[in-house]
Amino acid sequence: MLEFAPGADVRRQTASAARIGVGGPVGSGKTALIERLIPVLRGRGVDLAVVTNDLVTKEDAERLRRSGLIEPERVSAVEAGACPHTVIREDPTLNMAAGDDLEARFPGLELVVFESGGDNLASTFSLDLVDWWMFVIDVAGGDDIPRKRGPGVLKCDLLVVNKTDLAPHVGVDLEAMLGEAIAVRGDRPVIATNARSGEGVEAVADMIGRAVLFSE
Amino acid sequence: MISQLLAIWQADAAFPSGGFAFSNGLEGLAAAGDRLSSDELEAVVEAALRRRWATADRVALARAFEAANDLDAVAEIDREVEATMLAEPFRLGSRRNGAGLLAAHARIGTPGARDWQARVRAGRALGHLATTQAVVWSGAGLDRSGAVLASGYMAVSGFMTAAVRLGVIGAIAAQSTVRKLLPVVAELAATPLPGRIESFSFRLDIAATRHARGDLRLFAN
Ligand SMILES: Nc1nc2c(ncn2[C@@H]2O[C@H](COP(=O)(O)OP(=O)(O)OP(=O)(O)O)[C@@H](O)[C@H]2O)c(=O)[nH]1
Ligand SMILES: [Mg+2]
Repeated sequence: MLEFAPGADVRRQTASAARIGVGGPVGSGKTALIERLIPVLRGRGVDLAVVTNDLVTKEDAERLRRSGLIEPERVSAVEAGACPHTVIREDPTLNMAAGDDLEARFPGLELVVFESGGDNLASTFSLDLVDWWMFVIDVAGGDDIPRKRGPGVLKCDLLVVNKTDLAPHVGVDLEAMLGEAIAVRGDRPVIATNARSGEGVEAVADMIGRAVLFSE
Repeated sequence: MISQLLAIWQADAAFPSGGFAFSNGLEGLAAAGDRLSSDELEAVVEAALRRRWATADRVALARAFEAANDLDAVAEIDREVEATMLAEPFRLGSRRNGAGLLAAHARIGTPGARDWQARVRAGRALGHLATTQAVVWSGAGLDRSGAVLASGYMAVSGFMTAAVRLGVIGAIAAQSTVRKLLPVVAELAATPLPGRIESFSFRLDIAATRHARGDLRLFAN
């Protein structure tokens, strides 16, 4: 009666563009980092699109559409029904469908970036939705964030510590914070960025390239 | 027994379908006037069950379920659904929710899901929720009555979950309302199918239309 044939590599049958997630607490700089990454990745010839999961408004989607960095039609917004973690973890289907829709509209698309709505340290991406994801925290959120060992900090493929420029102003010892982040992550990648100046953004792009675009 | 279990499986909110992101007019209604009491909330959901679910979603689902092996016939019903939904947020919401459900079923290999998905993607079908449920639930092995009950249950639980997240009612009090509405679903599920798909829930239609114009919203409709 029930002829289910999921196969080992189910995801690849429906998606051909790589999909990556950008998660992290409210205001840590997810959108700012994406704004920095877009020109770098496009400069490397990557054909990309973005899906945002704004909580209440379409603020981030509108900001990216107006940025002039990417054609507005390449930015989709998915509502999170008051649950930013549900829409990337327990039930990522609306995001999956938004990604499918972008792929259908832009043949040749190589990368879809999903920005999660700002959430807490427990938010993680479902691997049904993305191939690889980063978690963005910031220096001003407190140097104890890595120590708190939230699932987001521990499980992500790349931890980004943003707003390095603010460290002196908030009394954070950046080196110590990064050291602790690397320690709790068991030597998995951590990159420090300043999305204001663009510092560290090339390194993030390199890592995305190696992880999902099979480039150098 | 398996068909009952399959219906429970599909009605469970743990099955990913995107449904949690739709309030189907409730967010607009909650924002519009005074705080909704639990009696008013119950009345709103009951009205939606009687005038929209029973007369439109249920009818489209049951008819498409019978036709599930003939996707041309399903696409025909799908167009009828589109034509009977007055408020655009409901039309778009139903299509997006359908695409969400389809994404999950295509991924797990439910028979029929990929063919229907290909049609929707190619623009040869709209992929409304009710018709998509018919295709994938038939493919997944539910029987028609289980499919209708799953759909009715999800209509109630979808409204109530949204109401809880909107702060209209407490999570436990909501279940007392669900308990009161289940006999309504059972009663409506047993009524003969009307010949035409008809939907008339003007309060929610207006609320959803206003909601769609607003900048502040948690839910897709
Ligand atoms: N000084 C400094 N400010 C930054 C940096 N990155 C982002 N910001 C600022 O931090 C604020 C929040 O940045 P966003 O990019 O909107 O943060 P977000 O994580 O996308 O926020 P949500 O989507 O609301 O969760 C904005 O005012 C940014 O200009 C940085 O590296 N340094
Ligand atoms: Mg943002």
